[in-house]
Amino acid sequence: MKNINPVWRGLISLIVFGALGYGVGFGISVLVNGAAKTSPAGPIPSVFALFFGFAAFFFGVIGYRGVTRGLTWQVIGTLVGAFVVVGIRAAMGLSAFDGKGFFLPEGAWVFGGLVGAISFMFGVGVLSDWVKWARGIETPEEHPQDESGWKKFFSVSLDHKVIGIQYVVTALLLISIGGLFALIFRTELAASQLQFLTEGLNIFSQNGLQLFNTLISLHGMIMIVSILLGIAGITNYVIPLLIGAQDMAFPRLNAFSFWIAVPAVVLLLSSLVLGGFDTGWTGYPPLSTLAPVGMQMFFLGVFVAGWSSILGAINLITTVVRMRAKGMTAWRMPILIWSSIAASLITLTATQFIGLSFQMVMFQRLFGMGFYDAAKGGNPILFQHLFWFYSHPVVYVFVLPGLGIISELLPVFSRKPLFGYRWVAMSSLGIAMVGYIVWAHHMFASGMNEYLRIPFMYSTLLVSVPTGVKFFSWVATMWRGKISTPTPMLFVLGAIMVFFIGGLTGPMNATVSTDLFLHDTYVIVGHFHDTIFGGFVFPFFAALYYWFPKATGRRMNETLGKIHFYLMTPSFFVLTFGMMYAGFLGMRRRIADYDPELHLDGIHLVTTIAGYLVAISVIVFIFNFFYSIKHGEKAEGNVWNSRSPEWQVPSPMPVHNYDKSFEVIGEPYDYGSGDNGYVKFIDEPASNAH
Amino acid sequence: MAHTQDKSSALSQGVIIFVYLAVLTIIEYFVALTFDATGLLIVIAIIKAALVMYYYMHVYKLNSDEGADNRNSYAYKAATDRLGLWLFLLSDTFVFAGLMVSRMNLLGLTRPHLNQALGLFVTAVLLVSSFFMNRGETAMKFGDVKGFMKNTAVTFVLGLAFLLGVVFVEWRMAAAEGLTASFGNPATGPVGGVFYLMTGMHAFHVLTGLIFLAVVWNNARKGIYTAEKHWGVEAATVYWHFVDLVWIFFYPALYLIGKVVQ
Repeated sequence: MKNINPVWRGLISLIVFGALGYGVGFGISVLVNGAAKTSPAGPIPSVFALFFGFAAFFFGVIGYRGVTRGLTWQVIGTLVGAFVVVGIRAAMGLSAFDGKGFFLPEGAWVFGGLVGAISFMFGVGVLSDWVKWARGIETPEEHPQDESGWKKFFSVSLDHKVIGIQYVVTALLLISIGGLFALIFRTELAASQLQFLTEGLNIFSQNGLQLFNTLISLHGMIMIVSILLGIAGITNYVIPLLIGAQDMAFPRLNAFSFWIAVPAVVLLLSSLVLGGFDTGWTGYPPLSTLAPVGMQMFFLGVFVAGWSSILGAINLITTVVRMRAKGMTAWRMPILIWSSIAASLITLTATQFIGLSFQMVMFQRLFGMGFYDAAKGGNPILFQHLFWFYSHPVVYVFVLPGLGIISELLPVFSRKPLFGYRWVAMSSLGIAMVGYIVWAHHMFASGMNEYLRIPFMYSTLLVSVPTGVKFFSWVATMWRGKISTPTPMLFVLGAIMVFFIGGLTGPMNATVSTDLFLHDTYVIVGHFHDTIFGGFVFPFFAALYYWFPKATGRRMNETLGKIHFYLMTPSFFVLTFGMMYAGFLGMRRRIADYDPELHLDGIHLVTTIAGYLVAISVIVFIFNFFYSIKHGEKAEGNVWNSRSPEWQVPSPMPVHNYDKSFEVIGEPYDYGSGDNGYVKFIDEPASNAH
Repeated sequence: MAHTQDKSSALSQGVIIFVYLAVLTIIEYFVALTFDATGLLIVIAIIKAALVMYYYMHVYKLNSDEGADNRNSYAYKAATDRLGLWLFLLSDTFVFAGLMVSRMNLLGLTRPHLNQALGLFVTAVLLVSSFFMNRGETAMKFGDVKGFMKNTAVTFVLGLAFLLGVVFVEWRMAAAEGLTASFGNPATGPVGGVFYLMTGMHAFHVLTGLIFLAVVWNNARKGIYTAEKHWGVEAATVYWHFVDLVWIFFYPALYLIGKVVQ
């Protein structure tokens, strides 16, 4: 087995152990439910195959350590936690097993899932230093040496650069999974009537329509988690380099933030096989109080993923406040830091609200606490308020770092100072602050008190003011610049265009009178895909192309990069304009089928083809990404001719970043001014990480 | 300034603040018993919170530039940790704020029927525990490890008493009053849910605080902390006072404001 390529080794053991797990699950299913009631695509065989397969894949790749041990512990922890609940139920005289085909009762799945997630953290080894500290044992100040080569990415590392890459690769994996889900239901939507997600289907005890609902819901949340991880990856990798720190302020917490996302993703995906759920990613009660146990796994997965973002935000803010290089005053920080801080402030505070709102639904389902049960005097609208208090501002968490990347890269490729630096910095904070007071614009049609609509309409329209500041700055920065267009710049320009469309389609949704008609139509779907692609996906790709040489010492292939860009951008415009067009003609969100009399078949077919083209372009990117790690053109110097400190030293970056610390002596973006640059290296070892 | 005083004045400051807090709590209690004055209760709670934050949690330390000349010094790193801890507390505040919002939305200006004497008693227990925690930290600041351990042990016992009091006495009595989580009785509505979720979430934080206290007590026994280097003690202290701070708002929200519903 040793000389086989590790990826093949992983796939072989995935298939072998996945099949084994399937067999075990099938056996249990037959034992519990009887052979007649056991479906080959039932939840229990699938959940076992999923868990076994996941763990076995990583076992094949790296053996029993790091992530493999974490996943193994998660399986064991889940079973232990679940059987504790089963035991308690049996002792209380309640039914110990579930009659609805999910083997264990709902409480057992939830408690097991939670215990499993915590067990993962012990298994992977993130907590071992903290356990030592708690027992009064000191750990060495220096970070332990990571393994050389690719294997270090599969175990716990405290190096922010390794963690950043772990985040980015996980995000790319999730984008692929979420995109795959999208292709499945997009294909179903290509023509009216039901083609393959029919009512006759039975997968994971869901028929085709239920599966459609599960897929659209998971597409939403998987993509959201992937965005959060992608942003965390970029900021984790880049920000300590930008401020001249050796690492983040709390390296162990940093590793914890990344690794907790892994069990969260496993929980999220397990909702697909545990009966799914049909609420959309928003999980509104009362529907979410009735959905199968998959709903609970979805809530739990999001809840656990929330820890990741909150702790990451704490780390980022502390790092920037405490570890900046000498001379880097607030007004001389790179602009990406301003926008990341603004985003982190939202994550830090508002995330608790979605956690709480989901927790309350979980408790309502488990213990019958009737928070959202109108029949018992509860208030379902309260859920929407709590939910959107996070879920609107989180849109700014998605886009602010992306807009920061645009502002960061644009001067480099325009060879001109960033126009209105202070205004751009303040506009990020402005967007974040206004973001707190706009949430109820998602609820104009919800039946909340009508007098609330007008203030929320105006506060929402107010968002366009700080956003407009950014657009003016970008245009003025490019104005009469010496613009060059390598791939990162292409994606920056694409981001500006797409985000512009996303912004322009906003006010009609923010205005009560039009929103009441557009609510829950594909117009909304087109609008938010434009904002998220413009604010996150395009800048994310730009950042990956831009900082790839810093991480690997090689450039990504330009030709493939250009193919990626010129394939993705027009297809994406067709995709979202198609969505909006269908929406204006009356296409509703979240439905698997539509009336042929609406004559939407043509536009849906075009939209679906465009969706496939976007997917192909992303495949080109992913190929380019992994291909260029080994075979890309060597690029060890200042590839983009940037003023930023990380490009003043050779690539790839050594383990402890800078050998010498630097002092900020100029403005970050004064390109073409002929001054002495932004930073000057001084003969002083860089200050230690913590 | 508060941080350049000697040990006896630091200890007597703790006593004075405790007396203020105790008097305010009693005023709060009698105000609520005699007339309906939600606004006044909110003002009192804010004053209590400000006293705890300033004199017990030493929030002003966030602004100090200890160790700024050497970034590898213990003092500088402790100050970095302090910022991280306070950011965590800010985040945690939003959990409790969310619970408070839910409580106001679902119950408005009504409250569940609960045993007033027991509520005042557990509140007093938690307040006294905060007082001893402050004494413990002050002792550690002057290098008195024995004094720290003694006072922390008292804090721990009081905290445990609070936890057990809420979970095993208060919850049982509330259930006997008809405040059930699973609604056999539709008339109770979400009142029981709000009550159990708020007290339960707070009790969970008390539990984690107790674990934290046990850890630092054990490490103090091993002689790890000194007058200069005791960040762990400071973190546990601040966290413990934070738990008390939350109860400063939850106590009136659950026991004092509004009219009783049955």
